[in-house]
Amino acid sequence: MKKILDNISLYLSFLKISLKEILIYRLDCIVGIISQLIVQAVSLIFIFIVFQNTENIAGWNFRQILLLYGVTRIAIGISGYCFDGLYDIGPKYMQNGEFDKILLRPVHPLISIIGASREFVSLADFFIGLGITIYMLIELSIPITILLVVKIIFFSVIGALIIGAINTIFSISSFWTYKSNEVIWSFYNIYAFAEYPIDIYNRFIKILITLILPFAFVAYYPTMDYLGLNNYMLYLSPFIAIILWIIAVKLWNIALNKYRSTGT
Amino acid sequence: MPIIEVKNLVKQYKIIEKQDGLLGYFKNLIKPQYKKIIAVNNINFEIKEGELVGYIGENGAGKSTTIKMLTGLLTPTSGKIVVNGLIPNEKRIQNNKNIGAVFGQKTQLWWDLPVIESFRLIKKIFKIPENEYRKNLKRFTEILDLEDLLDKQVKNLSLGQKMRCEIAATFLHNPKIVYLDEPTIGLDVFVKENIRKFIKEINKEKKTTVILTTHDLKDIEDVCDRIILLDRGQIIYDGEKQKFKDIYGKYTLAEIIVSSKNLSVKDKLQSNVFEIIEENEKEMKIKFKHDETTIVKIMNDISEYCVIEDIHMRESELEDILKEIYKGAYKNGANNDSIRKNAIKKI
Repeated sequence: MKKILDNISLYLSFLKISLKEILIYRLDCIVGIISQLIVQAVSLIFIFIVFQNTENIAGWNFRQILLLYGVTRIAIGISGYCFDGLYDIGPKYMQNGEFDKILLRPVHPLISIIGASREFVSLADFFIGLGITIYMLIELSIPITILLVVKIIFFSVIGALIIGAINTIFSISSFWTYKSNEVIWSFYNIYAFAEYPIDIYNRFIKILITLILPFAFVAYYPTMDYLGLNNYMLYLSPFIAIILWIIAVKLWNIALNKYRSTGT
Repeated sequence: MPIIEVKNLVKQYKIIEKQDGLLGYFKNLIKPQYKKIIAVNNINFEIKEGELVGYIGENGAGKSTTIKMLTGLLTPTSGKIVVNGLIPNEKRIQNNKNIGAVFGQKTQLWWDLPVIESFRLIKKIFKIPENEYRKNLKRFTEILDLEDLLDKQVKNLSLGQKMRCEIAATFLHNPKIVYLDEPTIGLDVFVKENIRKFIKEINKEKKTTVILTTHDLKDIEDVCDRIILLDRGQIIYDGEKQKFKDIYGKYTLAEIIVSSKNLSVKDKLQSNVFEIIEENEKEMKIKFKHDETTIVKIMNDISEYCVIEDIHMRESELEDILKEIYKGAYKNGANNDSIRKNAIKKI
């Protein structure tokens, strides 16, 4: 337990120093946040257009869909900021031998890597998501109780952890490709499925986003709960997060050992 | 008990053999042909605590591969490594607490931030106690003259300044063993001397074991007591630095400035007591041993062919000796190992 706390504390230190590094480049930050705002606006306009042509999607109305969107953005914002370091381990560490430096620290390399996140703009995602979520909760006249706030915080963190674990698993390909992680980008496209109620999809996609890449647990099941649509799947999500992280770390260690023995 | 123990260590790489032509590239894509390369071939050595060891050899001799195995970055193909009671590639994280490493020009400092921020984070990573951190920081600042650098961003430092900070960062957690892989590459003489002085002082104070690879043999001359010479993956000399020089290469080098020289003296003058290494119209380099001839005799011989203007003499240094060993290999190619082996037997 002490080891875990130590690691978390170190991770936060890494994150803090990365944040300091980002803030030095003020213009970079501002441009990044503006571009993130544009991306969000486009997504919202898209949802808006869809609902000009239909009353509901799989029984969900405009406001409910927007709530789902907001909850999704909160989780993506957190994971984007906390686990971003994994995207570019190919060019950032493998190609130039920087990885050796990380392996020489008395810390698991994953802590160093995820701590080196510079995706400050994800915080824009987070705040947009938070704003939309609160606005829609009011619009849908869902009472904002302490229990609901605790639930939103808890399940958003769990959702971020699920995305983080899947990121970690996909980042393994960088050990051999040395490239930036296109696999993770393609997985983000799959992720787009989870921004809508899973009932609209056929069985294959449903299985994909609940069992194989359990994105449905990131926002869909939690949002159902916030809407008062009871579901038991939601309570599986903490376990899914834990299991995914165990798998991710184990696979990562195997890949690391393999990498060290080939010495490429 | 030795702090580092290496037994029958072998590292073999498998690399893809490139095939020519576009067709060859496609063949590689589908069914690559692998070629095995032995980077480190069955080496053995032991290093005691507090030793200053120069680990030298040509490019590609296997130095960096060995260092990477010692630090646990690479897994050996076979053989045994024990560092401070641990097997580095199995207990890498634990081993990392006891070691420090500098790899060439790569920096472990955070590029965009003031140096002191990196030091503080290193303190946290290695869990350095507050008083120890302060004591080391003060001492290192003093020797390496870091006072004005600590608040500067790393990216604004010169190469020499950066390396001084880098060295300080490496020793900050009082590592028992430090691996320095080309720490002085590209630095000016003053910084080099500063870093050498630092290594020597810290070694004296804390009994830090240092393994140094370098192409600047002045580093070795100045810092190390012991040399391990590596050649094509094998150790060809392991022992005291002084002995290496005594046995193998105690000779004198004379640079003679000449004039009125038209012909090649080397072709005319055959001698078995001295050797003309280089010559051109204005200068000749000659190698001889004091117990076999004298400079006066040599001058006598040469003066038949030219006018001697000036003479500089010096005793052979480590660099000269190594040059000879390497040159032997270059001249005779890979198929003539016997000359090189003889040279080694002499040692």
